[in-house]
Amino acid sequence: MISNEGKAVEPDGGQLAVTGGLRKFPRKSAVKRRDGLIAAIILTPMILWWLVLSGFPTLFGFVLGFFEWIGISDSPKFVWFDNYVRFFRDPLYYQALWRSIWLGGLVTSITLLAGFGASLLMNMPLFGKGIYRSVWYIPAVTSTVATTQIFNILLDTNNGVINNILISMGKPPIVWQYSVFWGVFWIVVYSVWKGVGGAALIWLAGLQSVDTALYEAADIDGAGRFAKLMHVTLPGLKPIATYIVITNLISAIQIYEQVLFMTNGGPYGQTEVLVFRIYRDAFWDFNLGMAGASSLIMAAIVLTATVFYYRWSTVSDRSITTRRSRKIRKGGL
Amino acid sequence: MQEFSKKLAVQFKPKYLFAHLVLFGVGLVLLYPLIFMVTVGFFTEEEFMTTVLGLLPFAKQPTWENFLVLFNGSADAAIQQYFLNSTIRTVYATFWALLTALLAGYVFARLKFRGKEVIFLTLLATQMIPATVALIPTYLQFARWPFAGGNNIFTGGTGILDTWWVYLIGGPSINIMGAFLVKQSMEKVPYELDEAAKVDGAGTLRIIFRILLPLQMPIMAFIAITTALATWNDFITPFFYTSSDHLQTLPAAITRLSSAAASPGTVPNWPLIITLSLGTTLPALLLFFFFQKYIVQGLANTGIKG
Repeated sequence: MISNEGKAVEPDGGQLAVTGGLRKFPRKSAVKRRDGLIAAIILTPMILWWLVLSGFPTLFGFVLGFFEWIGISDSPKFVWFDNYVRFFRDPLYYQALWRSIWLGGLVTSITLLAGFGASLLMNMPLFGKGIYRSVWYIPAVTSTVATTQIFNILLDTNNGVINNILISMGKPPIVWQYSVFWGVFWIVVYSVWKGVGGAALIWLAGLQSVDTALYEAADIDGAGRFAKLMHVTLPGLKPIATYIVITNLISAIQIYEQVLFMTNGGPYGQTEVLVFRIYRDAFWDFNLGMAGASSLIMAAIVLTATVFYYRWSTVSDRSITTRRSRKIRKGGL
Repeated sequence: MQEFSKKLAVQFKPKYLFAHLVLFGVGLVLLYPLIFMVTVGFFTEEEFMTTVLGLLPFAKQPTWENFLVLFNGSADAAIQQYFLNSTIRTVYATFWALLTALLAGYVFARLKFRGKEVIFLTLLATQMIPATVALIPTYLQFARWPFAGGNNIFTGGTGILDTWWVYLIGGPSINIMGAFLVKQSMEKVPYELDEAAKVDGAGTLRIIFRILLPLQMPIMAFIAITTALATWNDFITPFFYTSSDHLQTLPAAITRLSSAAASPGTVPNWPLIITLSLGTTLPALLLFFFFQKYIVQGLANTGIKG
């Protein structure tokens, strides 16, 4: 693992030490009361402020889903579940949801596979591997607004780099913005471009956390490179694989910035994803009720995915973790 | 020395050459949009408009103008102002993120009180709710902020919309992800250290800032860099909650200019967009290079601990 150079790290990543530390707390009630007072003094202002600025608006957003409220000047009307019924009847919404899901799945699988391949290479004792790691990660720190504009220049219809190359090869230029396929294609390319380095780094950390003794044992048993990959590396990566798949999936189904800046949902709304739809409703169409309902559905999907991850990861390493550290693990997303 | 030459010899084995080739080649492709942005940054507006852009266009009369504009300002846009706004916002948000993460992390890692787990897990669970949910309600909240911007209690004015307050107001609220990371990192520090300090008469604040903080530097650096980058790159707050030109940040300025870019047949002001993109990207890259050790480390940690 990168943080503990040279030291082998148990797959548990020091969680056991955590629980070990907690047990050493003094259990006197006087201490507890004093701790409670300090905690209250420190936490109350921060959490209250957070409730005002994040908690309340979030709850309010969910409540909006039960109202019909078009235009801020209009007055809201309580309509029970009408917005939700519309969500699953109106192709505008359920198609956007479906698109979010498969686009997210596509982006996640390409990003993670490419990242995994890269991490296998980065795990070799290469010269300059630190430089490779940094370079691959650079796209992740750039601003989406800024870099999508660079992609837009590359994809410009009249003087875009890619069209100029096509022309010089004697092929007709492509109006990318008129094609659903190319719209989706470039959104996926951009998302993978931005995510692959981060995925590679996390995979790499996973690879380095696999116990080296297992490889030595496999060597003694005469296992080949492929057998080692299948029977040592992949099983050892399971905890980190569940983590990286779920976190990537959760962020990939919420992709909207690249859609907003690269295709703007076009042509004819064919590349609209759900979070982009929420944006449209909220800030262009002022359909606040539908925006609220859509975001509640999005939140439900994300929370479901999280719960699945939680159950999956706790089943996979029940043998090595204690109850408390599983709880901590749950929050790690 | 012998070991070094052995390592060097290994690099030329086919397997290693292949790895170098792939990592270098794909790395170059990943960097390409940024390299392109920098080379295009040397074009004058006229030359950019008349050049047929190739894979790597080089200006015939290279100019530093587009880079200098970031410091000197231009006629088209108050770039210095955007730059300054971005910077102040970022520093402010980072400061508060660090402070609240450290204090809350300490409370959750070290103190024992009833309801601790419940509070902590509830806060963490909220992190999974998509942020878009709160966008409109936040807009309404800002518009109805009591006694601000001509509001008599809730109505009558524009509240804190389109003022500096939209950037400042969120500062003191708890940084939940940061608190989680600090808690994890602090739990590895033996509790005896606090005890010893307490015996020597140190108060809570002294324990936090003098004893524990120096040991949390890697994770604090990670929180600082991720918060700074997120704030620096954020376009949503300025784009949705402000409208005055003097309140824009760099990404928001690009957002405003680029609405034309996504529809075919229009010619956006590319040179200005490129300049602003450079201004947004280069400082982020600088930050990354200074703190990359902590990013790699922090990412690995969050990943492993999941």
